[in-house]
Amino acid sequence: MKKRKSCKKLAAVSAAALLLTGTLKVEHASAYFTTYVSAGGSQVVRLGSKTEIHEDVSDMTKHISIQNTSQIYDCFVRVKVFYGGGLKISYQDKSESGNLWSYSQNDGYWYYKPILSAGESTELFDIQIGDLPEDFDKESFNVVVIQECTPVVYDEDGNPSADWNTVYTEYQKIADRSGEGAGAK
Amino acid sequence: MKKKRLTYLMLAAAVLLLLGSTVGSTRAALTYYSDNYVAKITVSQIGVSLLENGEVVSSRDYNDNAWKVTTNKGDGSASGSLLANLLKPEEKLALNKKYDEKLTVKNSGSIDEYVRVRIYRYWMKDGQKVTTLSPDLIDLNFINSVQWVKNPNETAECVELFYKGILKTGKETEPFADTVRIDGRLAQEATIETKGDTVTTVYKYDGVEFHIDVEVDAVQTHNAKDAIKSAWGVDASGLGIL
Repeated sequence: MKKRKSCKKLAAVSAAALLLTGTLKVEHASAYFTTYVSAGGSQVVRLGSKTEIHEDVSDMTKHISIQNTSQIYDCFVRVKVFYGGGLKISYQDKSESGNLWSYSQNDGYWYYKPILSAGESTELFDIQIGDLPEDFDKESFNVVVIQECTPVVYDEDGNPSADWNTVYTEYQKIADRSGEGAGAK
Repeated sequence: MKKKRLTYLMLAAAVLLLLGSTVGSTRAALTYYSDNYVAKITVSQIGVSLLENGEVVSSRDYNDNAWKVTTNKGDGSASGSLLANLLKPEEKLALNKKYDEKLTVKNSGSIDEYVRVRIYRYWMKDGQKVTTLSPDLIDLNFINSVQWVKNPNETAECVELFYKGILKTGKETEPFADTVRIDGRLAQEATIETKGDTVTTVYKYDGVEFHIDVEVDAVQTHNAKDAIKSAWGVDASGLGIL
């Protein structure tokens, strides 16, 4: 009986010793040299444009300029002129260099070549109505100018360009609030 | 009586000898310490730094029995700041334009190491994550794909890269990214309102913030396979980074 008790004691001591050895082993295995660093940052993307067309009329000439009234984003602008038949229209770029406005045969738009920075206005562009018949009512002629703008984007080399082919998808703010707005992916 | 005297004599001799031996050892000690020795013991000191366009943004090195953390945010900050100099003063972020964002890792410790980076890209607005925008629109251009091995189990938001081979002490890796660009598709959703002579374009994602977070981990090269398994939970041999 006494011998059995002593055997139990020995076994307990051996188990404790084994456990202690095991603990030492675990500690050794996890003691690797490691280190870490972290960093983070962000930038806000501001998008938005607001352009306003200014038209002054004098001597049967429309003096056109477009102002980028947005304080957020630079853009490119273009205009298109619509008028009734029978009128003879001529155009004049009133900028100092005389070549800031260029006409595209493909789509009939007049493009303003420089970037229109936030807060700035284009150089003047004149639309003159000529060869009028004697009975023409000079107070009610109908020449309509429409304007369009597109944000400045950059190509792979960092050169600014205008993407007039972008098809905008209209979004609903209500849908956005309810979390249903589908984002660009 | 004679016996008693002898005892006293022996006691006195013993005291004298004892005192003599103390003096001797004191002298010996003084002689031993009279020379000045400066000894510096270098123990294994691991350290790693993250660099953005050549500038250290964050580092954590073990030095003089303590961790030395340095960031470009100053003392007290555990994390560095990225993208702070992305734009020049007064410059506005332009879509599709590539901005310099060269990211490298340097071994700033005194032992060689293996290195891993984790890059998180995501969108935020008004303090909340924007989950309708894809992280891929934040085009961080990953390069040196031979040297930086991608974890195939990456997610859209988190990319994990392992540096192939040992990064020696004092050395810098090849960059794992060189530019960042915000995809122009971000501006595809907009409403255009015409009121009189004014045309206003309102973009759905005006005011969103793009975020890039980077974590760098380094582990010792000794017993590398087990160390990497223990620290990062990956099989280094399977990834081919040893």
